[in-house]
Amino acid sequence: MIRAVIVMNTQGKPRLTKFYDYMPPEKQQELIRRVFGVLCSRAENVSNFVEADSVFGPDTRLVYKHYATLYFVFIFDSSENELAMLDLIQVLVETLDKCFKNVCELDIVFNYSKLHTILDEIIFGGQVLETSSAEVMKAVEEISRLETASNTITLVPKSISGWRS
Amino acid sequence: MALSGMRGLSVFISDIRNCQNKEQERLRVDKELGNVRTRFKNEKGLTPYEKKKYVWKMLYIYMLGYDVDFGHMEAVSLISAPKYPEKQVGYIVTSCLLNENHDFLRLAINTVRNDIIGRNETFQCLALTMVGNIGGREFAESLAPDVQKLLISSSCRPLVRKKAALCLLRLYRKNPDVVNVDGWSDRMAQLLDERDLGVLTSSMSLLVALVSNNHDAYWSCLPKCVKILERLARNQDVPQEYTYYGIPTPWLQVKTMRALQYFPTIEDPNTRRSLFEVLQRILMGTDVVKNVNKNNASHAVLFEALALVMHLDAEKEMMSQCVALLGKFIAVREPNIRYLGLENMTRMLMVSDVQDIIKRHQAQIITSLKDPDISIRRRALDLLYGMCDVSNAKDIVEELLQYLSSADFAMREELSLKAAILAEKFAPDLSWYVDVILQLIDKAGDFVSDDIWFRVVQFVTNNEDLQPYAAAKAREYLDKPAIHETMVKVSAYLLGEYSHLLARRPGCSPKEIFGIIHEKLPTVSTSTVPILLSTYAKILMHTQPSDPELQNQIWAIFSKYESCIDVEIQQRAVEYFALSRKGAALMDILAEMPKFPERQSSLLKKAEDAEVDTAEQSAIKLRAQQQTSNALVVTDQRPANGTPHVGQLGLVMVPSSANADHNLEDQGLAQENGTLSKVDPQSPSPSADLLGDLLGPLAIEGPPGAAAPTEQHAIPASEGDPNPADALALAPVDEQTNSVQPIGNIAERFNALCLKDSGVLYEDPNIQIGIKAEWRAHHGRLVLFLGNKNTSSLASVQALILPPSHLKMELSLVPETIPPRAQVQCPLEVMNLRPSRDVAVLDFSYKFGTSSVNVKLRLPAVLNKFLHPIAVTAEEFFPQWRSLSGPPLKLQEVVRGVRPMLLLEMANLFNSLRLMVCPGLDPNANNLVASTTFYSESTRAMLCLVRIETDPADRTQLRMTVSSGDPTLTFELKEFIKEQLVSIPTATRPPAPQVAQPTSAATSLTDPGAMLAGLL
Repeated sequence: MIRAVIVMNTQGKPRLTKFYDYMPPEKQQELIRRVFGVLCSRAENVSNFVEADSVFGPDTRLVYKHYATLYFVFIFDSSENELAMLDLIQVLVETLDKCFKNVCELDIVFNYSKLHTILDEIIFGGQVLETSSAEVMKAVEEISRLETASNTITLVPKSISGWRS
Repeated sequence: MALSGMRGLSVFISDIRNCQNKEQERLRVDKELGNVRTRFKNEKGLTPYEKKKYVWKMLYIYMLGYDVDFGHMEAVSLISAPKYPEKQVGYIVTSCLLNENHDFLRLAINTVRNDIIGRNETFQCLALTMVGNIGGREFAESLAPDVQKLLISSSCRPLVRKKAALCLLRLYRKNPDVVNVDGWSDRMAQLLDERDLGVLTSSMSLLVALVSNNHDAYWSCLPKCVKILERLARNQDVPQEYTYYGIPTPWLQVKTMRALQYFPTIEDPNTRRSLFEVLQRILMGTDVVKNVNKNNASHAVLFEALALVMHLDAEKEMMSQCVALLGKFIAVREPNIRYLGLENMTRMLMVSDVQDIIKRHQAQIITSLKDPDISIRRRALDLLYGMCDVSNAKDIVEELLQYLSSADFAMREELSLKAAILAEKFAPDLSWYVDVILQLIDKAGDFVSDDIWFRVVQFVTNNEDLQPYAAAKAREYLDKPAIHETMVKVSAYLLGEYSHLLARRPGCSPKEIFGIIHEKLPTVSTSTVPILLSTYAKILMHTQPSDPELQNQIWAIFSKYESCIDVEIQQRAVEYFALSRKGAALMDILAEMPKFPERQSSLLKKAEDAEVDTAEQSAIKLRAQQQTSNALVVTDQRPANGTPHVGQLGLVMVPSSANADHNLEDQGLAQENGTLSKVDPQSPSPSADLLGDLLGPLAIEGPPGAAAPTEQHAIPASEGDPNPADALALAPVDEQTNSVQPIGNIAERFNALCLKDSGVLYEDPNIQIGIKAEWRAHHGRLVLFLGNKNTSSLASVQALILPPSHLKMELSLVPETIPPRAQVQCPLEVMNLRPSRDVAVLDFSYKFGTSSVNVKLRLPAVLNKFLHPIAVTAEEFFPQWRSLSGPPLKLQEVVRGVRPMLLLEMANLFNSLRLMVCPGLDPNANNLVASTTFYSESTRAMLCLVRIETDPADRTQLRMTVSSGDPTLTFELKEFIKEQLVSIPTATRPPAPQVAQPTSAATSLTDPGAMLAGLL
């Protein structure tokens, strides 16, 4: 099963974290720090696998992908296939990309609730729920429609990223 | 969107982003938390919208790493909000913030249940997601049945059903006792007919969870999994949105193959054939392309296919194909594939007999040790460690040593430990072992644990031949300008004990030795000083005639340390000073250390402990555990009586059988001189004796029961099945009088070797006898591998062959002694003169220390080894069958008391006995026809035909007809087969035999017709 999903930037700031086995917040932060410590020392063009036993205990694996200023990290046990996990990161990122049109870190910072919604449509209780990013988009759009329908407050457009110089 | 609607939240996030440092951020967060807390306190004034906003803020703060210890109630209460956005926030935030035991969850159960059984699908989804993410016990108790209903409901949309499947999975994983899955096998099979690939993926995950727990109940799902795999591999009916970079849903393919790995085997030949076709297609049809994502996806499928092939123990061709593929992978540019290639090669080592093919890639694997990626370097190290054996140990260990100087610090400790273990396990000769360890200390002293140098001392002490060599080597290292402190320790120890053996060599006079060691004294820490003092005392003792100058120098040192603040150093200085004044009497007390008792290497033990993995085990790991290792490894199961008291191993020499008389003598001497009141080595000083420490980790073993956990695990596993063959086993004659007990069951080892050609014939704490055989027509060539597991020699080794009259056997010379840790190979030529079931016996004996061991072992040169399976067609079979019309060439017998087994199992058994089953010849599906050629000098090649008629109503009896052109052969073969049917060697199917058999019996009860139809 997938134990945790961590999205963080290249400075080590968490942007989205989800632990599928409950973990107290201090422990979460420590793990995030240690993962960052390992990832930031890795060169380009190396494998996407990192030994995680020392951080997460025996029988855990870690795969990550590095996109622009973000690391996407999945931690899981030996019942999952490493490359399939890597594919799943790709699905998540492609879905975000479709959702935000060329996703960047700021989209994720200011829309982290939407990120939760998307992640919940891809991974469920530590298991792969949906692997087709088209299907995920369908589900997410449906949720957005529901929100809009019951939301009377005017929408602020996506161009929020322009706020910050 | 929820967030963009909340201006306050966006402002807050912006503020946080604008903070220059952590301190500012904390201030801003504290301010916000204070604000939220106040607003929650007068909750009445809060609109659901505000509540929602604050709860999102809490989650954001929580993610930043701040503890949010309030507001949980507000989050939970949002779950009951009527509108979707509030409800959604409530569910998401609750599942992030609360753990399964949180009290507030109880409050929400009713709402959650109403949402699950309600009509609103979006609410259902939210509720399922939270329950799945948290997976608490109370949820399981009250919600599992409802979730099950959703999963199989035909009116639900796929969106809901796939979540229900995973929700059920999570509840089941966390609380298997609460979620009732009895009778789920039929439903599971139905779920696998699902066309929607999203639902199917989730159902497959559920199946994996169920099957991993109890595969027996889900046999009916097996063919369906294969069907799904076929459909995907052929890309039939896979919608575009499930095609990922041109590959039909790789996740589902992977999951399906994972599910198949939980079934111990695949009985039905048609299913097996279809599966292998798919696997073959995957193995052959995957290429490395430019697009990284496509590569990852296609190789995800490929690596899973490899794992499945390994699990199914495919015929050797497919295995070597796999190794070839992996060999290609470890050399590609794509780092992920290199990584997995190495990892899977390591796995392959565990599951099958392909070491030799893997060895061909040794050079490439060594290159990977220098890969820029540390993850890959680690995998390469694991693989080299796993593939190392006597034949390549020298190359691999030397490569590791070379790599050590340039390796990352993060890897050095592991690297040096592994090099030390390999050097010990597979040393072709002990001087090489000493070289390796000294080099290791020289190159990576900081990373060499004490265990490693203790062990080399133990080896040197126990092997006289080695002592001058080790001392000379130690002397060489001392010439180096800067050496590691561990090197000072080990060389000082070795030179103290053995430098007198070098006395005539240049630069090795006591004075020179003392000089060069004493040079190091100012550089070492207090833990090393006592060792140096002991060395000085020993040098002094060995200087005959005594050298007054040296004596004064050393005495000066002793008296200098008499007032040392470190109590250990002080005590030694005082004692040695006093002792060394006794002159010749010193000889008795400071003589060489006695031999160490043989014991398991603490290094190996450490390595074994590290391998015991308590976490959830994949099918492959499980299988690897069930197989007993064939490697020559020291796993000492010596009973506790062999473990000496640590006190005996004090610095001062006491003969190994330390007896009281001797002690009194020592004491007497001391008293006589009146200088010393306390030299009794039997009463160790209260402070830890340093040499006691040195020996401590070696001497103090765990309780004997814990000595070899894996081994002990393996034995009961193979003995689980009461085997009638035990009664027939030729027990070693002297077993009762031998103090040395065999490891493992001798009869079982023999039975296993009757069916395969290499393995262990006998093992005890001192020796392991392996066997490897090749058979050609009526000739056979066996090689006996006699491996000494100890660090001292085995003496008076004798091997006599007692051949039965029908075999001509010639054993090459067996050496009388087997050097420590060495393996001797003794070829044994066999010629079969005529058919007979008699068995050759090896009378084997050796002496170790005071115990002599004698065992009589049956040799697996049995009748079936001279068979050569041959397929016959109906046109060949029937004329031959008819021409051999009756006794004595054709014999028929009704055999009773047959061990009940499925026809398929019987076919497998026959095939493994080299009687080739020819399906389709007998029109009756309950019968079995087999053919083979028997070779002996008298009969030459002789065709044998066998027919078995079974009674499906009573599996304990059958009618057997055997025919051949030779009456003795017919009779002997018939009797031989009978023995096999009445008592089935448990090793017929190496993976989990006792699991597999009841299983198939169960299947046969449910659907014997289908199974038989499948066979014929």
